[in-house]
Amino acid sequence: MSRRVLLVFAHPSHESLNGAALEHAIRGLEHGGHEVRVRDLYTENFSPRLTLEEKRGHLAAPDTKPQLEKDFADLLWCDTIVLVHPTWWGGQPAILKGWFDRVWASGVAWHLPDGAANIRPSLTNVRRIMTVSTHGSPWRVNAVQGVPGRRIINRGMRAVCHPLCRTSWIALYAVDRVSDSRLRRFLRRVERRMSRL
Amino acid sequence: MHATILLAHPDPESFAHAIARRAIVGLESTGWTVDLIDLEAIDYAGALSPDEWRAYATDDPVLDDTVRRHTDLIRRTDALIFVYPTWWSSVPAVLKSWLERTLVPGVAFALEGPNNRLVPKLTNLRHVVGITTYGSPWWYVKLVNDAGRRTISRTVGLLARGHAARRWIALHSLDSRSNEQRQRFLERVEREMASLR
Repeated sequence: MSRRVLLVFAHPSHESLNGAALEHAIRGLEHGGHEVRVRDLYTENFSPRLTLEEKRGHLAAPDTKPQLEKDFADLLWCDTIVLVHPTWWGGQPAILKGWFDRVWASGVAWHLPDGAANIRPSLTNVRRIMTVSTHGSPWRVNAVQGVPGRRIINRGMRAVCHPLCRTSWIALYAVDRVSDSRLRRFLRRVERRMSRL
Repeated sequence: MHATILLAHPDPESFAHAIARRAIVGLESTGWTVDLIDLEAIDYAGALSPDEWRAYATDDPVLDDTVRRHTDLIRRTDALIFVYPTWWSSVPAVLKSWLERTLVPGVAFALEGPNNRLVPKLTNLRHVVGITTYGSPWWYVKLVNDAGRRTISRTVGLLARGHAARRWIALHSLDSRSNEQRQRFLERVEREMASLR
């Protein structure tokens, strides 16, 4: 089945392992015959800070935030989200955290029915989230930290997606110390996983 | 004794700002001096820049005057106190950006030996404190979205290993709290800050 994939890339340089992972991910997705939209947050100069107006209009309808119109449209269009990012201080780079803070907004990602105490999911179009992430520290350090980045996506963000939404985490640890052959295997794995979506 | 408060909320009338003000009252009542860094008020950059990323692994990773002031500050402060609303399980993007830009090698940690062992350098820290509000109830935070605590207490806490006491002060289900409950929380913040030694 061909999927509609929103691929969000959050690394300051394409000349990096993450840049290579992005290329392999796109190749894999195209090979699998999927429709892909790429959002390259650094290249687009995406502003990660939720503004005062956006905070005060936290519960307002999406059409009150025309500056995010394209971002909202992408999020509502896709059935699969692929995130490619390094893990810094246990989590997503600030620019990607800001994409969550601003774009996963009321009326798009969630809604609050009248009188309800808790938000309800709105992104029921999203049935699959795949994350490709590189970690500077070894796996056990991430375990001590409690893998906050993975929890943000696989628990927090997933909670507003389709109830059967599946998540996967494709990670490489201790990236500064792994051999070239490990790196190549990692990139091949990224490509293979994307083509088999 | 000296405390540095990091505050991340775009609205000067926010509850987070009220918390920061009360924290200062508590600290000053016992003779602490305090530096408040209101990240939105100083228009702090929301992401690590491509140039900063390239400089990260060099001997001089700090490229910006604001960042240099902050790296100087955290090397001599006794307490790091983070005040923020929890958004999507964790810290707002601007605070994540502060962690990425300020906690650089040579300042916050060093990597030593063939295994790149992480050696904490913020050994001056006696306290690492997080004060946050959650939209979600306690059980949901535990189950799904306490990534912010994992980021602050465990990950930032690693940099002061063995020396710092970690403290977590949280108000859950913020939106359904009465004024009285909010006032009681502010009193608790003041009391806890006055008890730091």
